[in-house]
Amino acid sequence: MKTIQVQDLSKILKPYSNEWVALSEETNKVISSGQNLSKVVEEAHKKGEKHPVVTRVPKDYGNYVLGF
Amino acid sequence: MPLKFPYKKFPQNPNEAFPDHKQAQRPVIPITVKYKDKEIDYLALIDSGADFCIFHGEIGQLLGIDIQSGKKLEFFGVTGEKESAYFHEITINIGGRDKHCYCGFSELNNSKLPYGILGQRGFFDMFKIIMDYKKNRIELSAN
Repeated sequence: MKTIQVQDLSKILKPYSNEWVALSEETNKVISSGQNLSKVVEEAHKKGEKHPVVTRVPKDYGNYVLGF
Repeated sequence: MPLKFPYKKFPQNPNEAFPDHKQAQRPVIPITVKYKDKEIDYLALIDSGADFCIFHGEIGQLLGIDIQSGKKLEFFGVTGEKESAYFHEITINIGGRDKHCYCGFSELNNSKLPYGILGQRGFFDMFKIIMDYKKNRIELSAN
């Protein structure tokens, strides 16, 4: 199994605490952000990004041990 | 052919146990969540410790789902606090493959949920999954 390049979103997402972010599908750059997901997606579409990838940036990027 | 994804790095706050950690490398992949004629691309964490899939309520709302009309489940999440999710029949697309998924949507404005969660039911039961942390590589094959 070959090693592949990690996609580093650590610096890109840091300024967007507690917001929805739309990322470019190709470059992973932030296209739009805000509290309202619908508006964030609409703005990304207006900027020409047909398929933005959305994610929620938490208020505090703490240390997660996930599992239900 | 397996679908291949890289790990992603996210910000992390340094702490007493890991004072040098400013990033966390996690098995987060892009998925497309579909409902009727609507769809949205979304980042989701592969979490073998989760019993089921949970996505943000806002994702369901954007797709036109009446979140609270779904079957309700109370569970204990990240913080140990009781949380609620409402389950709906949707489709998720990963790497061009559509899969039916009975998935929970969180209450709206759940700021504790950092990503969508891909758990045992709805994800692990559909794919054979290899996660190689050192090689930064995730591989999914259809079961």
